[in-house]
Amino acid sequence: MKHVNCLLAVLFVVLSASGAALAHKVNLFAYAEGGTVFTESYFPDGRAVEKGTVRVYDSTDQLLLEGKTDTEGLFSFGIPKIDALKIVIDAGMGHKNSFALKKAEVEAGK
Amino acid sequence: MRTKIIAVSIITAAFMILAVQPALAHFGAVIPSDDIVTQDDHKTLDVQVKFIHPMELHYMEMARPKQFGVLHDGKKTDLLGTLAAKKGKSPDQDQTFTFWSTDYQIRRPGDYTFYVEPTPYWEPAEDLFIVHYTKVCVNAFGMEEGWDQHVGLETEIIPFTRPYGLWTGNLFTGQVLLKGKPVPFAEVEIEYLNETPGNINIVLPPADPYVTQVVKADVNGVFSYAMPKAGWWGFSALNEAEWTLTLDGQEKGVEIGAVYWVRTRDMK
Repeated sequence: MKHVNCLLAVLFVVLSASGAALAHKVNLFAYAEGGTVFTESYFPDGRAVEKGTVRVYDSTDQLLLEGKTDTEGLFSFGIPKIDALKIVIDAGMGHKNSFALKKAEVEAGK
Repeated sequence: MRTKIIAVSIITAAFMILAVQPALAHFGAVIPSDDIVTQDDHKTLDVQVKFIHPMELHYMEMARPKQFGVLHDGKKTDLLGTLAAKKGKSPDQDQTFTFWSTDYQIRRPGDYTFYVEPTPYWEPAEDLFIVHYTKVCVNAFGMEEGWDQHVGLETEIIPFTRPYGLWTGNLFTGQVLLKGKPVPFAEVEIEYLNETPGNINIVLPPADPYVTQVVKADVNGVFSYAMPKAGWWGFSALNEAEWTLTLDGQEKGVEIGAVYWVRTRDMK
């Protein structure tokens, strides 16, 4: 019985945690302009994701670079490669999302 | 017996008067091709600006608006010059009417509130001009910020319910403002846009009162309505302007409407 209670408690915590993750869904938006890729990371209510890790992958899933968002949720970098880029924001605690920047968009912004 | 005859006469007269009055409510409409833009979506919106009877699918001739723009991130952008004239009609109209449309490219995250101030429309049947200040909100890339901002129109509806991501059956709550102040007990007309893209079941109202739903706001100008079908819903709060316009040397009243559009989807 004690075990069942314990299990229920764990289950409750796990369920609440995933609920919270949803309510605090993190987003990243990116665009390329003048040779630079600009990214901004935010929660749905507009709050910035501070000190989140941004990882940039090419079309073969090769990690090209990574960095941290500033206090406004911004992180920018020079276009590393004319390719489709997958840009991932990792705000910790399972708060993760990605944005696909098409090759044509990267090309147009070089 | 005599009172019965009088009563019947009064009812008959009432019906005759009602029959003469067009039961059609006019609605300004701003309908975008999408209300939620994600990174996988087409990022160019087709935004259509019309003057219609939404339930009956009827179009009315619309002159080039006075003002058309978008509010995003606290900044207003004038889009009037981008509007192109198009023609449309309902299946039972035998001539086409002008409406307006533009392609707008979403470039940044956040909420985009499109707003229009039409050129006053002369309605001879009501002996007045009609100006419907109309708004709609589009969300982009998951940043849900900006939808409750005021555009600053002479009259406007401020959504109290986030105006996108709504399920069929959801309650939409808004506040009617006139010159920035709430309108106590404002009357709000509501209609379903039968022309909603993807609407396979055109709604046939069983009686006239079903065409336009009517609710009244509370003392703070706040109203609510639960939307029973998937598609676009228009909310229109009508007031009489303090100003008038002149037609053929005669002073005419102006009906100013605050109109807001939201889209619902079925839970499935």
